[in-house]
Amino acid sequence: MKTIFRFFDIVLRELNIIVRKNRIYGFCMVVFPVLLVVFFTTMLDEGLPQDLPIGVVDHDDSATSRGLIRSLDAMQNSRVMYRFASVTEARNAMQEGKVYAYLYIPDGTASKLMSGRQPNISYYYTMTCMTAGSMVSKDLKTISTLGSAALGKATLSAKGASDEQIRAALQPVTIDAHMIANPQGSYNYSLTTVFVPGILMLFMALLAAYSLGMEMKFDSGKEWLARAGGNIVVAILGKFIVHALVFLLVIFCYQYYIFDVLHFPRLGGTWSIVRLTLLQVAASIGFGIFAFGLMPSMRMSMSISSLWMVLGISMCGAAFPVAGMDPPLQAMSWLFPLRHYWMLYQSTVLNGFPVIDVWFHLVALVAFTLLPWFVLRKVKNAMLNYVYIP
Amino acid sequence: MSIFRKLKEHLTDVLYVWRQEMKQVIRDEGVLMFLIVVPLGYPLLYSWIYNNETLRETPVVVVDQSHSALSRQFINDCNATPDVDVKYYASDLDEARSLVSRQIVKGIYLIPADFADRINRGEQATVSVYCDMSLMLAYKAVYQTAMIEAGRMSAGLNIKKAGNYTDHENAITAQPLIAHDVAMFNPSGGYGSCVLPAVLMLLRNGQLIPDDDPHYRGAYRVVWGKALCYGMVGAVAAAYLSMAVPRMFSFPQLADGKTLLAMLLPYTMACIFFGMTVSCLVRYRENVMLLMVFVSVPLLFLTGVSWPQSSIPGAWHGVSWLFPSTFGVRAFIRANSMGASVSQILPEIRILWIQAAAYLGMACVVYAYQKRLARKHVKTVTNSTDLIEPDDQ
Repeated sequence: MKTIFRFFDIVLRELNIIVRKNRIYGFCMVVFPVLLVVFFTTMLDEGLPQDLPIGVVDHDDSATSRGLIRSLDAMQNSRVMYRFASVTEARNAMQEGKVYAYLYIPDGTASKLMSGRQPNISYYYTMTCMTAGSMVSKDLKTISTLGSAALGKATLSAKGASDEQIRAALQPVTIDAHMIANPQGSYNYSLTTVFVPGILMLFMALLAAYSLGMEMKFDSGKEWLARAGGNIVVAILGKFIVHALVFLLVIFCYQYYIFDVLHFPRLGGTWSIVRLTLLQVAASIGFGIFAFGLMPSMRMSMSISSLWMVLGISMCGAAFPVAGMDPPLQAMSWLFPLRHYWMLYQSTVLNGFPVIDVWFHLVALVAFTLLPWFVLRKVKNAMLNYVYIP
Repeated sequence: MSIFRKLKEHLTDVLYVWRQEMKQVIRDEGVLMFLIVVPLGYPLLYSWIYNNETLRETPVVVVDQSHSALSRQFINDCNATPDVDVKYYASDLDEARSLVSRQIVKGIYLIPADFADRINRGEQATVSVYCDMSLMLAYKAVYQTAMIEAGRMSAGLNIKKAGNYTDHENAITAQPLIAHDVAMFNPSGGYGSCVLPAVLMLLRNGQLIPDDDPHYRGAYRVVWGKALCYGMVGAVAAAYLSMAVPRMFSFPQLADGKTLLAMLLPYTMACIFFGMTVSCLVRYRENVMLLMVFVSVPLLFLTGVSWPQSSIPGAWHGVSWLFPSTFGVRAFIRANSMGASVSQILPEIRILWIQAAAYLGMACVVYAYQKRLARKHVKTVTNSTDLIEPDDQ
C-alpha cells in the first residue's frame, strides 16, 4: 500500500516538473511532434513529385518531335519548362538547378523514323536528387515506347486493324501491377510513417536520459529516491509512466490524424496499431534509461542516444533496404529499436500480416523495454553518490 | 584613449575569448564529441551504409499457372536480370502471400493459366505483379524488371511475326526509335552518391552550435572571439567532409579548390553565427541538442536533395530561406557532384553571405541583450538555475 502511495507521489512530482518547471518537456513532447507531423504531411502532400521542370533541345523541329515533346509535357511527372538552343545551354541550366532533365532530339529524327533508319534521341537526367531523377527517367521510357509505337499504330490502323488488335500486336505481353497497400506509390505514405515515429522515438529516448540527467545536475536525485522510499524500481516506474502516457497520447493522436483524417492506407486492424505504439514507447524509453545507466553523465548519455537513434533512421532499412547493406551492417541493424518498429509496422499495420510472422521483432522490442533492468543499481548509485560535472 | 590603443585592446579581447573558447572546447567532452567524433565517424558510417548503392537480386516468388514454354521463358528472363532473383515457386497466390508475409520475398509474379494461349491466339496476355510497397527500391526492382522483360518478350514475338530477312530489319521492328537514357552526375544511380554530400554538409550545421556564456565585455568582441574558435574547428571539419570523405569512398568530386572555398567560407560563417544566435535562445545547453535533433531531418528535406526542390510547397520554401544549410547543401552538390562553376552557384553564395551578415548582426544583438539580462539578474536574484549556465571559472 505504501509503495502505491509512493508511486503516485513520484508521478505527481514528475507531472509538476513536466508541466511547471521545465518547458523543454512540453516542447519535446507536444510542440515538436505536432510540428513534425505537420511538416512531413504538408511537405509530402503531393505524394509523388509532379511536374518536375525539364528542358528540350529540339534540333529536328518536325511535327513528330513536337508531338513527342507535347506528350512528354502531358506526363504526370514532367513539365517542359525550357527550350534550349544547344546541349551546352541545357547542361548549364541543369548545373544551375533549373531543370532535372533534358530531351535531345537531333536533326533528321522524323525523316529517319519514317524511312525506317532507326533514329536516336537522347535523354539526360541528373541523379543527384534520386527521387526526381527516377521520376523523370520513367517518363522518358514511356515516351520512347510511345514514339516507337506511334509508327506501328499508324501502319496497322491504315491496314484496318481494330484498337484491340493493334494493342495486341504492338504489345503481346503486358504487366498488370498491384501495388499493395500503397496503390498510388505515394512517398507520403512511406516516408512520413518512418520519419515521424523515428524522430518521436529519438525524443523519447533523449528525454529519458535528459530527465535522469537533470535530477543529477540539480542534485534532486536524492530527494527523488527518498520519496520513492529508496526503491529505484518505484522511482523509475513512477517517473517514466508519465512520459509514456503523454507520448502515448501524442502518438495516438498522430495515428488518428494520418489514418482517419488523411486516410493513409493500412490493412492491419486497430489492435495492431495499439500494440505497436505501446511497444514503441516502452522500448524507446527503456533504451534512454539504459543509455543513462551505461554512462551516468547527462552529456554522454544524451549524445549516445541521439546519435544511435538518428543512425537508426538510416539503419531501419526503410529508405535503403537492409538486405542491400554489407553483412556486418545487416547484423548491426538488430541493435536499433527503430528497425524493429518499422518491420512490425510494415508487416502488421501496413500489410495486415499476422504478427507471428515477425515475432522476433516483437520480442526484440520487449527486450529493449527490459534493458533498464540491467542498470537499475547503477542509476541508483549515480543518483546517490555522483556529483554533476558540467 | 587613442584610437590605436582602443583597437589594440579590442584585438586582445577577441584573442582572449578565442583562447578561452578553444580551451573550453577541448575540455568539454560533450562538445568534443560533437566536434570530432561526429564529423569524423558519421560520414564514414553513412558512407558504409549506402556503400552498395543499389539493391540487387530482390527475391520474388512466381505463381506459374500457365506451365508453358512461354511462361518459363518469361521467368528465366526475369531471373537472369541483376535486380530480381526468382527464389520460390508457389502453387497459388495464398502460398505466395504467406512468403511475403514472412519477409522472405518482396514481390509475386502471377502468370495466369491462359498466358501462352492468349499469345498464340494473337491476343494480349497479362502478367500480374504484386509488390510489397514497404520498400520503394524493392518495388521498383520487382516492377521495372517485369516491365522490361515483358517489353523484350513482346519485341521478340513481334520480330517472329514480322517475317524479316535481315538482323537489321529485326532491330528496326523491335525498336524503330532508339532512346538513349543517360543518367548524369551519379552514373551508378547510387543512393550514397546522392544523399551523402547533403548529410555531410548538414552535420556541419549541427555541430557548430557553441554553448555557454562567459561574461566577457563587449558583445561584438565575444562574438568574434567565439567565431574565430569555432571557425578554426569548422574549417578543419569542412575540409575533411568536403574533400577527404568523398575521396575515401570515391564519390563524385568535380569541384576545384577555388569553387569549394567560395562556397564553404560563407557557409561556415553563416553556420557559426546562426549557431550563436540560436544557442542564446535556449536555457540549458543540453537543450541545444534536443533542438538540433528536432530540426536536422526536416532541414535535410528542405535542401531539396531527397525531395525535389520544385515539389516543396511554397510556405516551406520560405522557411528554408532561414537556414544556411539549405543553400550550403545545394551549392555544394551542384559544385561537387555536378561540376558547376562559381558563377553557376552565385545566387546561393550570395544568399549565404547575406545570411552570414544577418546572423552576425543578430548574434551581436542577442549577446548584448543576454549580458544585460545577466547583469540585472546577478543584481536581483542569486538563483542560478533559472539563468544560463554560470561559467565555471
